[in-house]
Amino acid sequence: MKLKKMLSVMAAGALMSGSVYAGSIGYITKSATNSGWMMINQGAADAAEEAGVDLVTVGPAFQGDLSSQLEVFENLVAQGVDAIGIAPVDSSGVAPAVNDAMDAGIPVVAIDTGVSGAAVTSFVATDNYAVAKVQGAVAATLINDGDAIIYVTGNQAQSTGQERRNGFIEAFKTARPNSEILEVPTEWDSNQAQEGVEAILNSRSDIKMVANAWDGGTMGAKAAMENLGLEAGDIKLVGFDGATDAIEAMDKGWVHADTAQMLYQMGYQGIKAAVAASQGKDVSPRIDTGFFLVTPSTSGAYKDLVGIK
Amino acid sequence: MTSRSLQNKAVGLAVSYFRKEWSGALLAILILAIAIELVTDGKPFFHPTNLMTILNNSAAIGVVAGGMTLVILTAGIDLSVGSVMGLIAAVTGYFVSYWGFPPWLAIMSGLAMGALVGIIHGTLIAYLGMPAFIVTLAGLSVWRGAAHLSTGARATPELPDTFNLFGRYNPFAELRADYKAGELSGFMETMGAFVNEHWMDFFRTFQMSMIIFIVFFILLAVVVSNMRLGRYIYAIGSNEQGSRQAGINTRLYTLYTYVICSMGAALGAMLFLGRAPYAKSDYGQMWELDAIAAVVIGGTSLFGGRGTIIGTFMGVILLKLINNGLTLAQLETFWQMVVLGLIILVAVGLDIVRQSKSAVKVQRMLGVVALVLALFACLTPGSALISSAISLHEHNSMVVMQAAGLDLAANQTARLLDAPAVAELQAIVSGNWQSFASLLLLVLGAVAVAVTLKRSLALILAAVYVATALLLVSMGMAAVAPLLILGAVVLAGMTTVPYMFERARTLEG
Repeated sequence: MKLKKMLSVMAAGALMSGSVYAGSIGYITKSATNSGWMMINQGAADAAEEAGVDLVTVGPAFQGDLSSQLEVFENLVAQGVDAIGIAPVDSSGVAPAVNDAMDAGIPVVAIDTGVSGAAVTSFVATDNYAVAKVQGAVAATLINDGDAIIYVTGNQAQSTGQERRNGFIEAFKTARPNSEILEVPTEWDSNQAQEGVEAILNSRSDIKMVANAWDGGTMGAKAAMENLGLEAGDIKLVGFDGATDAIEAMDKGWVHADTAQMLYQMGYQGIKAAVAASQGKDVSPRIDTGFFLVTPSTSGAYKDLVGIK
Repeated sequence: MTSRSLQNKAVGLAVSYFRKEWSGALLAILILAIAIELVTDGKPFFHPTNLMTILNNSAAIGVVAGGMTLVILTAGIDLSVGSVMGLIAAVTGYFVSYWGFPPWLAIMSGLAMGALVGIIHGTLIAYLGMPAFIVTLAGLSVWRGAAHLSTGARATPELPDTFNLFGRYNPFAELRADYKAGELSGFMETMGAFVNEHWMDFFRTFQMSMIIFIVFFILLAVVVSNMRLGRYIYAIGSNEQGSRQAGINTRLYTLYTYVICSMGAALGAMLFLGRAPYAKSDYGQMWELDAIAAVVIGGTSLFGGRGTIIGTFMGVILLKLINNGLTLAQLETFWQMVVLGLIILVAVGLDIVRQSKSAVKVQRMLGVVALVLALFACLTPGSALISSAISLHEHNSMVVMQAAGLDLAANQTARLLDAPAVAELQAIVSGNWQSFASLLLLVLGAVAVAVTLKRSLALILAAVYVATALLLVSMGMAAVAPLLILGAVVLAGMTTVPYMFERARTLEG
């Protein structure tokens, strides 16, 4: 179904036939294969179904591919969709295209990642920086001042990766000023996380915790611990995202805290806002989809909320 | 034995060492390993468990690169290995988790799929005459798509323990557990005690990944150097038409290389699953580039016919060693990218110089190595200095633009700083610029030496390197000193190159 639509967007783009998609909403996702993004995409699909509009979903060829995202964006504008929900792979890269669409009267809703350098109808996301500060503060309570920890970063060339790192380090350093933070840099690749954490854990026996910028990193860090023969709880893991596998690992004693973004809500609210804007209704320019602090004591409630069995 | 004949022996050994294709990679590994050991505190690098960790984490990409070597030796290329690895990893995990296959059947199916993919590539390339670049570029896309489609791009649950046999399984773990439980007696008890005592400093990382990796390369090296397949591969790579006229079934043997390469990717997938948290279809992205880089760093020519398996082994180790070392040294992310690229350039540069057999070029390359070492030393004061200077400059520009009454966008005003931040950055700049400038002078000196190749200049610069190193230690930047000392050794060694060449020539004559 998705493939069919993708092909038809391409075909329509080639023909430049115009307003093929009148009455539908365009949704440009950042990834169709990342487990977190699949939850966002599900929320988007459900919102469209509820509102009874057709959702044209397209994704980039690979995560982080700006040029293909710009291409599908321009195709959707040319086809005359009523509104566009977009998760930009590059905050400023998409700005000119977003400006063109807004000038043409097509509402644009940014989902998960904001657009810098262009005004959008609405920005629907968790405030990564604020949530990362909560993550850092909670992580600090799990260890003593002076204990060394590892922080697995996300891509530092993207605002999401920068905000999560800065928020975590700021809050953690405030609470535990004498703790050393060793960083493992990644580009959102769990294998990089695993290898880096393994290298450091192997050379230093004084690491008490591994905090992660996303749950792919959490699972990579868990694999690194298993590779070194460590048991659940020997080193505390702190995650970000609330992904299903990390929550399962929490139930087994590996993960001690996880700040979950309401991923499903992000897609759902984003497309709801896009539909509302296309019907000429007022939409708040900033919709915060909030977060959920998952700890072993709240994991049951979280699982009920997002439907993990 | 006189000292003269001892010297002759040493020169002879050096010459035969540099005749080897892999000498550049090994030299780079040694220089880098020493540099990393010296700049990391607590000396974690040359620890057996760390070295074994590097081997463990090299295993999956290493096996992939091993198969790639055969393809490149025939002057072919396989861009699909990363996607094939991802496909096999995802599907194998899927068979186990969702189809209820027993693990061994799933692994066999995965390896068989690898062979099938290789047969498809090989047939298109060898029998239909399609360019390898195009066929495998298509494969890169097709197999990745197939992996996502067949598994819904979803991760599997944790895989059964059988997969650990390809990865994190430690052959000594059971012995240690039995010893701890007190179930051993006699000789086994002594062994158990020994293993237990040296667990943290040796046996902990003695794992299957590493063992399979090394065994695979030994087998592959034996096949390539002693069997008909290997000889034919070199023949096809040097002169395909000639080989065909000599009666070699070049098409069949070309097909074989692609089958081995794809099966290497499949085995790489199993090794990867043995250490990974779950199976997923996005594994192995960009691995084709890492594998090709490892092969080329190991001294194998992209034009075919020249190269070794052992060289690829070294190439893989070099790549993983850089990652491991830069993580332990806690260098800033973006600098890591720059340093990684520079090291690859130097390693391949060493190989090109090695082939040239000219004293002047060898000297020039050593000059460049000294230059790069000084450049790395520059990073310590330089990275903080440069980023502070850039922030200050941005701040000042924004102040000027604001004063000119320009309308600033949000991400422009974000560059404005408050007074304490400005003062802090200025302190960083003023605290670091002298050491940065003096290190930059060393870089310029190395440029002069590499250009003029003057013996006296090289020796003076070597002395200046040492003096700067001592000065910096007294200023509290001890981490930089080892790089400079190493640079001084390289510069001093450079002056002996013409003499060594002379001696080597008389030996041969």
